[in-house]
Amino acid sequence: MKANTHFAFFDEGSKKEIRRAIMKAVAIPGYQVPFASREMPIARGWGTGGLQITLSIIGKNDVLKVIDQGADESVNAVSIKKMVHETTGVELTDRTEEADIIQSRHRIPEVALTKDQIIVLQVPTPEPLRGVEASEYVTKRMHSEDDYSGVWLMLFEQIMKYGKTATTADHPVYVNHRYVMAPSPIPRFDNSKMHQSDALILLGAGREKKIYAVPPYTDVKSLAFEDYPFTVEAFEDKQCHLCGSADVFLDELIDHHTGETIHQCNDTSYCMEQLNKVEKAEVESSYA
Amino acid sequence: MAIDQVHDLQQVYRKILHSMSRPGTISSLSEVAEHIDFNLTCNDATFLSAMTFLDAEVTFHILSKDKQNLIEKISEYTSARYAPISEADFVIILREDTDAAIQNALEQCKNGNLIDPQQSSTWIIESTLLSNTGELTLTGPGIQHTSQLHTSFSPSMWQVRNERTKEYPLGIDLIFADDAAQIVCIPRTTSVKMMGVS
Repeated sequence: MKANTHFAFFDEGSKKEIRRAIMKAVAIPGYQVPFASREMPIARGWGTGGLQITLSIIGKNDVLKVIDQGADESVNAVSIKKMVHETTGVELTDRTEEADIIQSRHRIPEVALTKDQIIVLQVPTPEPLRGVEASEYVTKRMHSEDDYSGVWLMLFEQIMKYGKTATTADHPVYVNHRYVMAPSPIPRFDNSKMHQSDALILLGAGREKKIYAVPPYTDVKSLAFEDYPFTVEAFEDKQCHLCGSADVFLDELIDHHTGETIHQCNDTSYCMEQLNKVEKAEVESSYA
Repeated sequence: MAIDQVHDLQQVYRKILHSMSRPGTISSLSEVAEHIDFNLTCNDATFLSAMTFLDAEVTFHILSKDKQNLIEKISEYTSARYAPISEADFVIILREDTDAAIQNALEQCKNGNLIDPQQSSTWIIESTLLSNTGELTLTGPGIQHTSQLHTSFSPSMWQVRNERTKEYPLGIDLIFADDAAQIVCIPRTTSVKMMGVS
């Protein structure tokens, strides 16, 4: 038997509760608003937070894009896309420019987002202080008292051990000069895209039952010391082996045939678009 | 035609979300407002905002003393409970409410606590025609440079509002709804400055 699911899977009561949490999150940038995370048809930790936000805000006329680590066609992205499409009938796209809502795991697309778009990020660990304090009761008090010494100490210890801040992803940020926030495991390369963004950024953690947000045109500052300024992943002299892009986030791969190290765009739809541009130019020039 | 609880309210929500994340941006709910076939003693945008957010899990307060009818209607439609001003999650202000009563309510309503700043009240305020040429200058998150706004709130009410949002993250979030089915939002993060107060 196949159940005839309600529009966007959720009952209206669930949507209302999540919608109210999102409103508070927007009004208090970077603050983790608790919400009653629902049981979803995918496992917790696989994007249920993001999915619950997407399902609560999506409408019939929206166009949805879902990416997983920059890829439109990985398993997580495809199953989330299928689920939303089957319960809402919304149009799906790979092109960042065409999407109204972009749900993403661990990347912000290379193409700049616009003021009419909403990006929904999936968050495994929303609490930036969790590494230094296990108790939720205590971390909530630390946030209320603006006590972020723990997170500074974590960065300081990394400098002592490794000579630099060694956060590979999820580098903590100050939002609106008040709350320290986990930007979800996006690479440091993407942190600057949150600062004064044109698009609304919503973050959802299903397992941890938290929703938080960065409204557009809000200051987002990556934590750093004066003598150890914030740095992003550098890909100097490297370019994508497929499309040749240089100023983008690259994945490092091994060519199985030659054993050489090669680099490739992490954002697959961006890469595809660059390739299509070249192709189009070739076709046009051959006609001439 | 009645309003569609699923799709119409989703549209209303997105408009309010757009306006809440961009304080001072006026959004129009007129398309959905055309579907309203109730005869209510509040304007369409106020009613739609209430329908979007209220359910059995939250409480609301209506300031006006002689609106028993509206209180009953909203309770019946949404299952939300009526509560005194000091406990209400949503405060609905109608056009007939006096400045003094509103100021009093602003002082008494919930504005959260430092550990749970989200436990604050959200205000839905019936307003005269909203416009972006006005006496208020807005700055803060969601506003690229500055934004101009005119609402029905008097300067003294803005002073009380500013007082209640002074200890950020504590504060209240306002949704203004006018007769032309337009809405505009002022969350607690927005700095509201009055110009030309003579």
